[in-house]
Amino acid sequence: MNTIDPSHVYRLAIVGAGLSALSALQAELDGEDTLLLDYQDGPGGFLRHAFATPGLEDLAAFVQATVLPDRLTTCFNSTAVGLLPAFAQGEPHMLVVRRSSGTIEVRAAQVLLACGGLELTRESAQIPGPRPAGVMTPVFAHQLLNRGYAPGRRIVVYGNSRYTQATAHRLALAGLSVTLVSPLDEPDPSLPVALSSAFTFLPPARLVALAGFPRLEEVTFERAGAAFTLAADALVYATGLRANTHWLKGSGLTFTAQGAVEVDARYQTSVPGVYAIGTAVSPSLDHEKSLAMGKEVALLLSGGAL
Amino acid sequence: METHTRFDVLVIGGGVVGCAILRELTRYRASVALIERNPDICEGTSKSNSAIIHTGFDAPPGSLEARLLADARDLWPSVIADLHIPYLQTGALMLALTPDDLLTIEHEIIPKAERNGVTLQPLTREEIVENAPYVNPEVLGGVLIEGEGVIDPFWTTRAYCESAVLNGATVFTGEDVTELRMAEDRVLVRTSGGRELAASLVINAAGLWSDEIARLAGDASFTIRPRKGQFVVVEEDHGVAQIILPVPNKISKGILVTPIVFGGVMLGPTAEDVDEKTDLATTIEGLRAIREGVRRYVPDVAEAESVRQFAGLRAVGSESDYIIRASTAGRRLLHVAGIRSTGLSASPAIGHYVGELVRAELELVKRADFQAELPEYLAETHPDEGDVICLCRSITRGEILAALRSPLPPGSLDGLKRRTGAMLGDCQGNLCLPQILDLFQQQLGRDPLALPKHQAQSCPVAARLAHTAGQEG
Repeated sequence: MNTIDPSHVYRLAIVGAGLSALSALQAELDGEDTLLLDYQDGPGGFLRHAFATPGLEDLAAFVQATVLPDRLTTCFNSTAVGLLPAFAQGEPHMLVVRRSSGTIEVRAAQVLLACGGLELTRESAQIPGPRPAGVMTPVFAHQLLNRGYAPGRRIVVYGNSRYTQATAHRLALAGLSVTLVSPLDEPDPSLPVALSSAFTFLPPARLVALAGFPRLEEVTFERAGAAFTLAADALVYATGLRANTHWLKGSGLTFTAQGAVEVDARYQTSVPGVYAIGTAVSPSLDHEKSLAMGKEVALLLSGGAL
Repeated sequence: METHTRFDVLVIGGGVVGCAILRELTRYRASVALIERNPDICEGTSKSNSAIIHTGFDAPPGSLEARLLADARDLWPSVIADLHIPYLQTGALMLALTPDDLLTIEHEIIPKAERNGVTLQPLTREEIVENAPYVNPEVLGGVLIEGEGVIDPFWTTRAYCESAVLNGATVFTGEDVTELRMAEDRVLVRTSGGRELAASLVINAAGLWSDEIARLAGDASFTIRPRKGQFVVVEEDHGVAQIILPVPNKISKGILVTPIVFGGVMLGPTAEDVDEKTDLATTIEGLRAIREGVRRYVPDVAEAESVRQFAGLRAVGSESDYIIRASTAGRRLLHVAGIRSTGLSASPAIGHYVGELVRAELELVKRADFQAELPEYLAETHPDEGDVICLCRSITRGEILAALRSPLPPGSLDGLKRRTGAMLGDCQGNLCLPQILDLFQQQLGRDPLALPKHQAQSCPVAARLAHTAGQEG
C-alpha cells in the first residue's frame, strides 16, 4: 500500500517511521485513513543502519517485530519537505512530499511529526582545525560498514551514549582499531564489561582540535588542563542529536532555542491538529523516551487521556 | 615525431580565474586546454571566499585591479544571464560606529570610490535602522554601495569551465604540472599523470601556486604568500539582507556579515598571513575574532549557531597590483597571478583582458559558432528520480544524477556538493553521503575506494573490510 491520493483528506498523516512512530502504531493507532511517510526505504529511523550493531539488538528486534496495521498507507522513499498548516479550523493541513514520481501535496486533518533528529557534527560544536576526510558521525560509519567498507583504520569515537558505545563496538568487531573517549561534564558512562574489552576506553576528556589534511591524522583532547593527542585517520563524532526541523521553517510552528518542535503536555504543537513526538521534540539519544512518547500520543490521538 | 599533445593555449589552474580565461579563449579559433591539479575544479581560493561581487569601490585607484573591477561591472550582467548564475544584488552597507568612522567615510571612502567611478550613497542613522533593522541600533551613520552583490562562486567557476568544454575546450583534472620547458615556438609541459603537452602559449593561473609554476620555467620574478581567511557559516539569515561592512582600518577590511545566495549568512573573513599554502585550519582565536567583530555590527548573528566553519587562502602577490604579464622566462608563458581576493569579482574582465593579450600574441580570429549561453543541465532531471537524497537540503536523486551526467562531471564528493548543494545542510552529508557514493558508482563507475572528498588522498572510504563481521544481511 503506497499510493497517495492527493485529492483525499487523510484523517492522520505521520511524518517519519522511526521508533516513536512505530511505537504509536504498535499501541493504539489503528491505521484507519492514515498515511505514514518516511525519507528512507524502510522503518526504524536512522537507527536502521545500525541494526547489525551489538548492544542495540532489542531496538532492532522491536522494529523488525513491528507489524504495521493493514489499513495503514505506508510510503517509504517519500520525504516531507514542507508543511502548510490549515488556514482555518476545519481545513486540512498540507504536506509537500517528494518521491520518485515527483512532488505531490498531501492533505490531512491531523499531522503527527515524528521526523526524528540529525546527528550533531563536529562543525556544530565548532571544533577547530582543517576539514579533512575521515571526520564523520555514526550514521555515516554504519552505512559504510553495511556496504563492506571501513571508515578508517585507526578510529576515535567521541561521545557517551549507548548508541556511541555500540558504534565503537561494531567498528572494533569489524577489525578496526577503536578508542572511545567520552566528553567531560556528562554523566560517567558505565560500560558493559563485555563491550569494554573490544576497544580502548579512555577516561572523559574534551575534544579540542583536529589536525591532518587531506585526511585526518590527529585528534587532540584536554583533561584537567592538560592536552593529549591521539593518532587517528577517522573520528566518529557521536555526541548527540539535533531535531530534524529545518524542513519546517516557514510552517509557523514554534521551536525551542535548540530548534526542537515546541509541544504542550499533550504533544500538541503551536498549530492545532499538528502533534510532534520523539527526537523532533526532545533531541537526545534516549530511545526509551521516544518509545514512551509514541505510546502516549497514540492514546491521545485515539481519543484516550493521559 | 611529435609525441606531445598539442594545443594553441594551455591554462594552468582550474580556479575562477583560469576557468574564466578558458571560456574567453573558446571564443577564438584555437585549441585550448586547462589543467587542474585537484580531482575537480574550484578546489582552492575560488571555493572558500565571501562570494561577493565587489564593485571595486575601494580598490587602489589607477591600478590594473581597479580597472578590471570597473570593466567587470559592465560584463557581469551578460555573464550571469548566459551562465544562469544565482546572484543577488543585495547592496552593501558600510556602518560607522564612531565619529572617527564617519570621518573616514567622508574623507577617504567616498572620495576613493569616486575615483573608481562608484557613487556611494550616504545614509543617516535613521535610514540605516529603517532599511536594516537587524544592525546595532547604536550605529551613527554609514554609506550604501548599491552595486555590491553576492553570487554562487561554485556555480560561477563550474559554469565558466562547462561553457568552455561545450565550446570545445579540453580539461585535465587530478594532474599537476611537473615540468615546464620553453622551446622555440612552444612550451613543453609534463604532468604528474605522465602526460606530455605542448602549447604555443601557457597561461599561469595557478593561484597560490603560481609562483611555483613560474619557477618551473626558471622565473623567480614574483612570490605568492598565503593569507588565511576564516569564515563561520550560519544557516539562519537573521533578517540580514545586505552585506554589512565595517569601516576599514589600517590593518584590515574587517569582519563582514554577508548573505549567502542559497540561504543563510557568512561571517568573516579574518586576514592572517600564514606560512603554509596548505594551512586550511580554523582556529579558536580566529573563530572568536569573527564573533567579536560581528557583535559590534549585527549583535544577533554574533551568537548564532553555525553549521560549518572553514578557512580559505588568498594568493597575495609580491607586487602591489595584479601580476598579469609575460614571464621573464619568455613571452610564451603568461602569468595571471597575485589576484588576492578580487578574482571572483574581476573574473569576466580578467578573462576578457587576457583573451585580448592572447589574441594579439597568437593572432587569433573569432569564431562564428561560439555558444555563449550554457544549457541548463542541472535542471534536466528524468522521470522517477524525484525522491530526496539530501534530506537537509531536499536535494533529489534527479538533481544529483543531472550533475553526474553533466559535460563536466564532478571529480570529487565536494565537487558534487558545489554543483548541487547536497551535503551542505545540518548533517553535513553524513546521512546521504553513502547514497551519493552509490550514485557515483552507478552513473560514472567510480569506485568508492578511490573517490576523494576534495584533494587527492582524501577518500572517506579508507578500505574494504577484511571480513564481514557486523555487516548487515
